Amino acid sequence: MENNEYCLGEYDVIVIGAGHAGCEAALASARLGKKTASFVINLDTLANMPCNPSIGGTSKGHLVREIDALGGEMAKNADKTFIQSKMLNLSKGPAVHSLRVQSDRKMYHIAMKEVMENQANLDIYQAEIVKILVENNKVIGVKTKIGATFYAKAIIVATGTYLKGKVIIGEVSYESGPDGVFPANDLSQSLLDIGVELRRFKTGTPARINSNAMDLSKTEEQKGDEKIIPFSFENENNEEIKNRKQVSCYLTYTTEKTHQIIKDNLHRSPIYSGRIHGIGPRYCPSIEDKVVRFSDKPRHQLFIEPLGEKTSEMYIQGMSSSMPEEIQIQMYRSVPGLENATMMRPAYAIEYDCIDSTNLALSLEYKGIEGLFFAGQINGSSGYEEAAAQGLMAGINAVRKIDNKEPVILDRSEAYIGVLIDDLITKGTNEPYRMMTSRSEYRLMLRQDNADLRLTDLGHEIGLVSDVRYEKFLHKKLDIENEINRLITTVVKPTEEVNAILKEIGASEITTGVKLSDLLKRSELNYDNLTKLDSNRPFLADSVYEEAQIAVKYEGYIKMQLEQIEDFKKLENKKLKAEIDYEQIKGLSLEARQKLNKQKPLSVGQASRISGVSPADISVLLIYLSQGM
Amino acid sequence: MSTDTIAAIGTALSNSGISIIRISGRDSLALIDKIFKSNQSLEPNKIIFGKIVKNEKKLDNVLVSYFKSPKSYTGEDVCEINCHGGNEITREILELVLENGARIATPGEFSKRAFINGKMDLTQSEAVINLINAKTRIESRIASKQLDGNLYSKIKELREELVELLAHIEVSIDYPEYDYEEVEPIKVKELLYKKIEEIQKIIDTYEQGRIIKNGVNVAILGRPNVGKSSLLNKLAEYEKAIVTDIPGTTRDIVEESINIGDIILNVFDTAGIRETEDIVEKIGVEKTLKKLDEVDLVIYILNAEEKVELKDFELIAKIKNKGIKLIVVINKMDRVEKSIFDTFMLQLKENNIETILPMSLINDDGIEELKNEIVTLFHTNDFDYEHELMITNVRHKDLLKKAIHFLKNASKSINSIESIDIISIHVKNATRFLGEIIGEDVSVDVVNKIFEKFCLGK
Repeated sequence: MENNEYCLGEYDVIVIGAGHAGCEAALASARLGKKTASFVINLDTLANMPCNPSIGGTSKGHLVREIDALGGEMAKNADKTFIQSKMLNLSKGPAVHSLRVQSDRKMYHIAMKEVMENQANLDIYQAEIVKILVENNKVIGVKTKIGATFYAKAIIVATGTYLKGKVIIGEVSYESGPDGVFPANDLSQSLLDIGVELRRFKTGTPARINSNAMDLSKTEEQKGDEKIIPFSFENENNEEIKNRKQVSCYLTYTTEKTHQIIKDNLHRSPIYSGRIHGIGPRYCPSIEDKVVRFSDKPRHQLFIEPLGEKTSEMYIQGMSSSMPEEIQIQMYRSVPGLENATMMRPAYAIEYDCIDSTNLALSLEYKGIEGLFFAGQINGSSGYEEAAAQGLMAGINAVRKIDNKEPVILDRSEAYIGVLIDDLITKGTNEPYRMMTSRSEYRLMLRQDNADLRLTDLGHEIGLVSDVRYEKFLHKKLDIENEINRLITTVVKPTEEVNAILKEIGASEITTGVKLSDLLKRSELNYDNLTKLDSNRPFLADSVYEEAQIAVKYEGYIKMQLEQIEDFKKLENKKLKAEIDYEQIKGLSLEARQKLNKQKPLSVGQASRISGVSPADISVLLIYLSQGM
Repeated sequence: MSTDTIAAIGTALSNSGISIIRISGRDSLALIDKIFKSNQSLEPNKIIFGKIVKNEKKLDNVLVSYFKSPKSYTGEDVCEINCHGGNEITREILELVLENGARIATPGEFSKRAFINGKMDLTQSEAVINLINAKTRIESRIASKQLDGNLYSKIKELREELVELLAHIEVSIDYPEYDYEEVEPIKVKELLYKKIEEIQKIIDTYEQGRIIKNGVNVAILGRPNVGKSSLLNKLAEYEKAIVTDIPGTTRDIVEESINIGDIILNVFDTAGIRETEDIVEKIGVEKTLKKLDEVDLVIYILNAEEKVELKDFELIAKIKNKGIKLIVVINKMDRVEKSIFDTFMLQLKENNIETILPMSLINDDGIEELKNEIVTLFHTNDFDYEHELMITNVRHKDLLKKAIHFLKNASKSINSIESIDIISIHVKNATRFLGEIIGEDVSVDVVNKIFEKFCLGK
């Protein structure tokens, strides 16, 4: 090997892995003008969806919108390739409305590959990286399995579940990445050699079943929304998207028989027999987990989701398993509609190496190794959207690192991306981390509908949002401001006609002049049913009406959250320098000194979220800071 | 300044001297305006004299100083109330301040704000480190004592159900397509009411806690020479007040602490209530009426030989309006026919007076019955100190009140059919305040609960 040294290229940024994190990272870097290389073990798995064929959902849809506002690609790619679209939680308040699409898995890959291929400054290679080259605690390049060396100023590791991937099906286990692709077996050792701590997580996926062998008449059809709302701000007026023909999903249930099969064969489950050592996520338990832990539930929901338009493969959401193959087939066949099923791909569990995310800085750079960034599932997260969000931020920050600029760090009050990264880095995680709306303290502010309002300015400043798009955004912003202003200043008079309309809606009548905004505040009234009372309403985009309505209706709550955010920011703005040696601050508890020295938080606010750092420790820190030491 | 307004007692609680209540934050001045009346107006760095007023009644004569932002200890608008020392009055003024919009400061919070606003200098900070450490240690010792026992488990239990409710709401939001029972508004309301009631009960124990700690304040009222001083002496079992048969001898309020079973009675003997030209006597009467603000129990003595006058009923009505507990004693029963008592009973019951006891102080008749009645009224004899929950900390009371406030808001939101995530915001706030008492973080709990309670996944 040593006598065969050769170099195939010099880059600014190298991205290892081209999944959802890797693609965003590579695109961001290239778009910001850096010479970028993207490496993937198999080019046909670029932006693959090895688990469910869908993008978005609660809080994940929020992430996609935020990625879009910052100039990322996921939203656009999802818009190009969805085959069903649904806004979830419509009855539950605007903060939790969540967009979710079913994607054509292959088309998603093809569309993303096309974008990557045509991106200036970006080279794509099919190659397994086996070594990260570090000199003086600074990355300098990578080495491929064949032996080529590539040099770079920054490296982003986005290896997903490939690192020492091991697939487990019943008593059988073998080295493999997801979807039958080669695992990356050598890179783990290289990471350990340069001082990166590794641990092992586990996740799993259900079987894929041919729909031709299903009797879907025994299931409930789940259609998409009639009114399609795209993910990307740039597609707001895209007619093709709005008129796209959709496919359906189907709902069925496990049966007593399914549960009996599982109970009878529990001893053959690798989790219960101890063959799986990785830590699995609580939120996506296998079907055997569910049957054991929730034994009182007579049945569990299963969603049958198509993998694409030109395939009959169906994903059985809700029934991931690591049971032996011959048990699996019995289990699936005990489900109404699946009696004659054959498994095109069996369900499996997969174990993989990942890092302890608390060893990263909030910029996603590894502490102690300059220029080494991590993004996606290797950081202990799970989910395509969580990965993409990290990939985008890692890409942006790798570029800024090279340019000697401060990293872009979103805080918890600005974006779900901020919550995600702060949770991973500051609090850490002991299981694959999934985003949830309940993880956000400021949910009412971090809505999916206002992601562009929250983040487009920043995206433009970073350089990923084009001037054309920015102009369009400013126009929308102005429309919203004007519309809110109009609602506040327009008075509806208590005429007979007005009261007749109110009565018809089922709202109480008015006796004096009332502002439109005050009417809108009533829970029984909204933009739609007020149309008749609002004859001078200008013609504006639906998204403008939506923002104005939310701003008016939730004014009190928004004000409350803004005040909370203001208080939160005070501690967030008290910066802590990396040079501080917490061992020297005697007022701190022993545990706080250790944790603070390990994590080196950026601000007093971040320090306060580290477990083991008490309010008393925070007071000491504040006073320490005041002494200007 | 945009931070909220905090308040705390700035001096150690004691029964003598002056206490300082410090208020800091954007609403300090507006808050003081609501509760402080003076002929002068507040100006920065000046101390002015006036009175603290609650429901248009004076609580105390005080000195108030005002330091305008940024020239104050914390760098925010700060007001300081110098009031007369003593647990009761200081606490009462602090409570009034809290009721008017301030929140109780956490340990070290004034210093924290001083720092945040760049007001802390080098020499001060070391002293403050010591102070905070000391305070935390003591506080934590006190807190852990309380946390070991009843309060901790009670708050935990209260919170548990709210966290479960939150988990239920959150699961329906984060996993909208799963077939979990939707959160039923009526059930949520039931739970909210139940919690409000339970928390209110704990808040109510604050009063009981105060009584157990500081005693029941008792005033003995009645017209001159009905036996007020004699009763005090009998209760105290030695002669303290001067007893003569000339009306109006007791010129001042005599305080006496007496143990009855587990209860401490702080008895104020009072000058007789009657019209008199005697100037000294008049001061006594005014003092008596003023004293009623601090009183938990009035023992009103009537003379069996005299008729009940309109004046008596007027005074009794005042007592009852203040929510003070009342026992009416008919003294000198030895001098009249027994049947006279029935006449009194009838007349008093017509005026909604329930607790009436016959008594002959000269023969020691009725003393034990009175003691028993007092014990029953403050039912401390069935109060299980070991196991029942009681709060004595004003911070806890303040947090509990906030929790109730948000639970009520949640219930209001349900009534006006607001969306489930808004309801969840209120419940989350309530849970957070309860969590502050026992130091737990709500969002972590909710997420854990979701995974524990609900079966989800692919």
